[in-house]
Amino acid sequence: MEDKITFIKDGIRLDGRRVDEARPIKVEVGVLARADGSCYLEMGNNKVIAAVYGPREVHPRHLQEVSRAIVRYRYNMASFSVEERRRPGPDRRSYELSKVSREALSPVILTSYFPRSVIDIFVEVLQADAGTRTAGINAASVALADAGIPMKSLISSCAAGKVDDQIVLDPMKEEDNFGQADMPIAMTPGGEITLLQMDGHMTVEESHRAMELAMKGCRDIYNMQRKVLIDRYSQMENATRQEEAVI
Amino acid sequence: MSTVVSEIRKDYLYNLMLKGQRADGRTFNGYRPISIEKNVVQKAEGSALVKLGKTQVLVGVKIQPGEPFADTPNRGVIITNAELVPLASPSFEPGPPNEFGIELARLVDRGVRESKSLDLDSLCIVPGEKVWIVFIDVHILDDCGNIMDASSLGAIAALLTATVPAKKFGLGEDYPLPVNDIPIATTAVVFGGVTMFDPDVDEESIADTKLTVITRADGSICGMQKSGTGVLTQDEIYRIVDIACENGKEIREKFLES
Amino acid sequence: MDRMDRKVAIPGDLLSEDKGRSGEGTYVKDDKVYSLLYGIANYRDKINVIPLAGKYVPATGDNVIGIVKDVTFSNWIVDINSPYDGLLHISEFPKRIEMDEMQNYLRIGSSVMARVKDVDSTMKVELTLNDRRLGTLKTGRIIEISHTRVPRLIGKGGSMISMLKKELNCNIFVGQNGRIWVNGNEKEMDLALKTILIIEKEAHTNGLTDRIVEFLRTETSARS
Repeated sequence: MEDKITFIKDGIRLDGRRVDEARPIKVEVGVLARADGSCYLEMGNNKVIAAVYGPREVHPRHLQEVSRAIVRYRYNMASFSVEERRRPGPDRRSYELSKVSREALSPVILTSYFPRSVIDIFVEVLQADAGTRTAGINAASVALADAGIPMKSLISSCAAGKVDDQIVLDPMKEEDNFGQADMPIAMTPGGEITLLQMDGHMTVEESHRAMELAMKGCRDIYNMQRKVLIDRYSQMENATRQEEAVI
Repeated sequence: MSTVVSEIRKDYLYNLMLKGQRADGRTFNGYRPISIEKNVVQKAEGSALVKLGKTQVLVGVKIQPGEPFADTPNRGVIITNAELVPLASPSFEPGPPNEFGIELARLVDRGVRESKSLDLDSLCIVPGEKVWIVFIDVHILDDCGNIMDASSLGAIAALLTATVPAKKFGLGEDYPLPVNDIPIATTAVVFGGVTMFDPDVDEESIADTKLTVITRADGSICGMQKSGTGVLTQDEIYRIVDIACENGKEIREKFLES
Repeated sequence: MDRMDRKVAIPGDLLSEDKGRSGEGTYVKDDKVYSLLYGIANYRDKINVIPLAGKYVPATGDNVIGIVKDVTFSNWIVDINSPYDGLLHISEFPKRIEMDEMQNYLRIGSSVMARVKDVDSTMKVELTLNDRRLGTLKTGRIIEISHTRVPRLIGKGGSMISMLKKELNCNIFVGQNGRIWVNGNEKEMDLALKTILIIEKEAHTNGLTDRIVEFLRTETSARS
């Protein structure tokens, strides 16, 4: 007989959330001076920062493509971002996450506008608590907009998981480590899925429920991403208007 | 990818310098505004986000039990690493630390080690077998000049907030990491015969020589490093050391002794 | 301009149900117009989205300010604040010079006011200095603003820039690539750069020209 942690009691999870509730999100745009676009994002205890450089010259040159910009995405975890210190530098996991994250964003980026150049996206995980890839994609998407990159839309990302045989939105560390399944997705506001991964065990019906819940999470995140971008300049407009009113 | 500084820009900075001025209005010895936010990463045993003007550096301290070095079986271990991640500057590239990153990490390490800031004897758990290993990881976020001083400041600020996680490893109660001294690194560039402290990116790009001086709370020096391809005169060095002591004292009192 | 005609948009925002109104910085999907950029959407006959940031992409005929970053066999390679370098061929220099003299005229770090002579489909950018208004820059100062704010700095029919030149008593050359050259006495240049940075910061706001005129009056009267 194994000891089982109870993750959900009376519909309430370990951290006090309901099953369909995401963790609190904080988004700030334009946080770095050197980068062309940047975004700091917190999703629960995840803290990530994304920077976009470019379009710029490609080095090494042989990577250039004649008719479009290439997109590079580097997901990196700070050594102190996790419980046990992590050796610096990329491992197999971060290579995989970089690849799928790049592919999650690529469908909306109009690379044909910038032949022979590169758009570099760098995501640094400063603190990890399950869901760093989704947090990174959310931050990167805002940073791309901030850098003035032409895009069909933003991309929003969120995971659904399965714990105690129930489908939950946005699993945190304990649920991810000891839960039955995890399914991160990313999508356009129109509902086109650009990232899908799943590990664990789910019935087909459960996977449908997880998909719907994760999509709901993405829509909520999209509204926050959009708001932070709009507010940044609306505030300036308002400030200027007030000045005018005083004069 | 290095960007070319135009001659017009160089001339402008040079002419300002002749008038005793800097582009952002500071005096030659003056620092940009400093802010330190402590304990920003809860997963780390200690952390600090330092802003020096627009430069931003995050330092995390992790403390874990491990094996001592064979030649110091009864002493704790300090391991310092710096990541010049490509997020922080158009001229940083992905990959293992290059010589700049390694020099930076070694200087941060030198400040902590040589100031005897950490009492390594007290970090012994079982002599010859188990000691506390203190990892100081410097993560540069935005390089707008003088990441050296920002990193060093971040390291000591993070150490000052750090807790030894004894409970997690069944080694008694947690306790604050004992810190005995507060080393402060102060960097100046030499340009056209004058010395300018806390250089920004433009000033770094036109000066060919830098000197970092690390001072302790008692006003003594615990580390120095000249870098760059230019030369320094004896007078310049003495002047930089004097001002480094003053700047170090001010920063220490204002931001780290509370 | 009526305020109701402008609003902040992000990529993917639905701007109109009428695909005929698709202007710059927009795209059409299923007969509807969406924003391609993060910027200010201007509603006229067409809807254009003016980006708030982004890299300069050279176009034939643009005036740009460049910094020489390399000298090759017969070309100067010029940084034009863009993903693409400009090539200035020796024959595009205003006077006839020999290849071994190239360094005497323009070397690494030299600044030029140039015109984009041609851009091909692979983004090979050719520059020229062959015009009386173009040439090398040896005095004055250069600042960089986002190239997306350049139209605002120039103003409708050049109104803003001619006002600045008049009020500031400075020579000002605006590069489409967001680099601005200013030449005058030190104080006038200080004020000019300060003013240009305000225009950059507030480019998306209404009533800017009037505020700038007001700002310059206050600054100059405070000085005298």
